[in-house]
Amino acid sequence: MNEAIKLSEDERDCYQEITNVAMGQAADRLARLLNVYVVLPIPNVNIIEINEFKMTLKSLEHNATVSAVCQGFIGAGIAGEALLIFNDASFSDIAKLLNYPGNLDQHEELEMLMDVANVLNGACIQGIGGQLDIDFSQSHPMVLGQHCSIADLLSQKKNTWQRTMAIEINYTIEDHNINCDLLLLFTEDSVLHMNRLISFLLDD
Amino acid sequence: MSRKVLICDDSNMARKQMARALPDNWPVEVSFAHHGEDAIEQIKTNQFEVMFLDLTMPVMDGYQTLEAIRKDDLPIMVIVVSGDIQPEAQDRVKKLGAIDFIKKPVDKERIQNVLTEYGIIGGNSDE
Repeated sequence: MNEAIKLSEDERDCYQEITNVAMGQAADRLARLLNVYVVLPIPNVNIIEINEFKMTLKSLEHNATVSAVCQGFIGAGIAGEALLIFNDASFSDIAKLLNYPGNLDQHEELEMLMDVANVLNGACIQGIGGQLDIDFSQSHPMVLGQHCSIADLLSQKKNTWQRTMAIEINYTIEDHNINCDLLLLFTEDSVLHMNRLISFLLDD
Repeated sequence: MSRKVLICDDSNMARKQMARALPDNWPVEVSFAHHGEDAIEQIKTNQFEVMFLDLTMPVMDGYQTLEAIRKDDLPIMVIVVSGDIQPEAQDRVKKLGAIDFIKKPVDKERIQNVLTEYGIIGGNSDE
């Protein structure tokens, strides 16, 4: 049996600060790609039950349709998934910034989603890895829900965990109607391992 | 009389990292603030020479803090220390009166260089 994962206040603070630095690096990449200013939030770090997480996602559902890209990462005994969730309403603004002409067909939207996901997920995962001295390998990004509901999205991803550490970053782009959520989910075993890794950062 | 330095960051870990990254032989008294409002209150009642200021914070963020300092013309040099490394963020804080920008995670040498550059500490001969 696994010992139940939990976070002390110091550990939560530490993950939040590590994420803060990593998301800044990711935002910088996106800002340079789109020539915009990305508004950075305070990241949320929580231990959640997977079932609870499903409900959170479902509550987003009335929020128009979303598209999501899922990308696994693994390294040094730590594994997780990065899930980038885009409100589809963001597409037309991103398209303008990337100079796509006219209306987008589904293929172009997909391509654009992958571009943005590669930048945000990649930089964020590598940013966290860099601070913990871990070289994460990333799997190929997978589009989970292009124009499908959250319920469909969830049913596609098999749950292998009961609880997870979820890091949530809500990126918005100033002066544009672009909004996306990056969720980083770590497996239970990974959290136990990471708590040991960060203990050196917490030493006085 | 020892000089006073204020470190303003919502993260406990970041405050400690920042304090540890200050030059070893710099005889300063370090105080901490958890967000901008906390910092402004302390600046109004104490004479600080330098503040190291984070940007992303609850209650009052770094940009608002810089605006408040400018509005009340508070006598303090502000060095922004942030994970937000977008060129736009750096431009904005400098326009708001920050003397420099240091990216997180902080590095001792960079801090030493910035403090030297602005004459806050002496050069290599600083013992």
